[in-house]
Amino acid sequence: MSPDAHGIEGRIVATGLTKVFGEVRAVDGLSFSVEPGSVTGFLGPNGAGKTTTLRLILGLATPTAGTGTISGLAYAHLPHPGRTVGAVLEATSFHPGRSARNHLRVFCAATGLPDKRADEVLELVGLTQAARYAVGGFSLGMRQRLGLATALLGNPRVLLLDEPANGLDPEGIAWLRGLLRYFADVDKRTVLISSHVLSEVEQTVDRVVIIARGRLIYEGRLADLEGASAGVLVRTPTPDQLVAALARLGVKVTPREDGTVAVVGATSEAVGHAAWESHVEIHELRTGSSSLEETFLRLTADAPPQPEPSA
Amino acid sequence: MINLLRSEVRKVTSVKLGWGMLLGAMALAALETVAQIASNGIRGSVALPLSSGATQKSVAASASTAYLFSIVVGIILITTEYRHFTSRPTFLIEPRRGLVIVAKMVVAALVGIIYGVICAALTAAIMIPWFGAKGITIGWIDHGVLQSLISAVIVIAIFAVVGIGIGALVRNQIAAVIGALVYLFVLEPLVTIIPVIQNIYPFLPGAAAGAITGVTRGSGSVHLDALQGGLILLGWGLLFAVCGWVLTIRRDIP
Repeated sequence: MSPDAHGIEGRIVATGLTKVFGEVRAVDGLSFSVEPGSVTGFLGPNGAGKTTTLRLILGLATPTAGTGTISGLAYAHLPHPGRTVGAVLEATSFHPGRSARNHLRVFCAATGLPDKRADEVLELVGLTQAARYAVGGFSLGMRQRLGLATALLGNPRVLLLDEPANGLDPEGIAWLRGLLRYFADVDKRTVLISSHVLSEVEQTVDRVVIIARGRLIYEGRLADLEGASAGVLVRTPTPDQLVAALARLGVKVTPREDGTVAVVGATSEAVGHAAWESHVEIHELRTGSSSLEETFLRLTADAPPQPEPSA
Repeated sequence: MINLLRSEVRKVTSVKLGWGMLLGAMALAALETVAQIASNGIRGSVALPLSSGATQKSVAASASTAYLFSIVVGIILITTEYRHFTSRPTFLIEPRRGLVIVAKMVVAALVGIIYGVICAALTAAIMIPWFGAKGITIGWIDHGVLQSLISAVIVIAIFAVVGIGIGALVRNQIAAVIGALVYLFVLEPLVTIIPVIQNIYPFLPGAAAGAITGVTRGSGSVHLDALQGGLILLGWGLLFAVCGWVLTIRRDIP
């Protein structure tokens, strides 16, 4: 494959990625891109196809259709994959009887790195004290750190981490956030982290790729998703009049069962002005409290995928 | 390739399994050696006296029973990767999966050779003083005892490679180990007593191993010599190696 627009160093691109297991379309025509110098959250409920997508991009599984590339190349065609891409798929890739240091040394040898690199990454993730202990006795948080250490061995410019915050304590999550932000902001590396809990990564990521049932639901800046989720809630004795007035402005409106009206895509100023112009009596007007997490849950809920959030 | 071999050697030496299985292999080889010598000459024993060449070769071939452990080690070396998902970092660092399988087979063969040399030496260490005490000369060269010991090493090494192939085919560790042992202990001996198919017995892996070391079982009309047995066992090793290699490339990594 020749380098093209997809071939920007460190960019991850999925194009029509599809994986079918028997009757199940685990990943279904998924297209998105992940840019260097940013932390991208790869979000979706459990079973949405996040891990399968990562496995397809990493060449561990063969797509039924579509392609996944890193720096414009299929994973298997990367010149030095161990030094280009660091990946962790779930925090369980360890032999329980092997010590943390030996685990890392096994992969130092495979990558052609000196053994001292194992000690360096152990130091980086704060596992130096546990280096000589068998991984079988490690807590989930320690396994997460060791997984990250494994991914960092080859000092890669692309990081793909599957649920890296899972099992970390709040202090650990804060530490991980600092580390990943440093990689993206200072080192200009590409960082993709998956999670099934938006709040876990909300403060870490710039961009999000949200999938459900193997399909893309939303791709873009987290800030834009936040904007889209904020609505305006109006209480009026004549909801039909308000709906008609707002509809004339091309604003999306949903009358609710309790008689209130939820308005999406307009500011409270615009809604108030429209009501005043149409002589609609207003008893209450406030900015919707729909949190990012609620938006995320609504987007990924068990309904047909909708590109646009609505109440 | 050197990097992969170093990595695979580390995988073996950094866990206890290899040492435990070596002790098991030594115990089995020693038990078989002692049993053959001790039972010789007692009433009802059909074996020729210890001074005969056939019996001396057979006693020396006791070392080869360690192949039961080397095949299991081979299976575990690869299935443990799938069981604990270390297959993921392994194949991420080297996406050319065929090379990983080749490296595993080379290291399994090395482990098999080490097991074989230790078990052969152990058998010799039991034979020498015991035969000496009985005043019987061991025909190292003229009775083919040395050849039998060397053959045992080869058998043990080939079975370790077969184990990698089996593990690449059947990635479930327990199923692969049980399947291999059931085959060797139950299915293959069963072939010798079923008239229609008993003539294929000499061409099966366990029987080929027997032919190499000069020990044959069964009543079929075909008997192979050591070289023929060696070629057949090598063929089985290659068959499993190629199947494991192809399937590892074609299938998704769990």
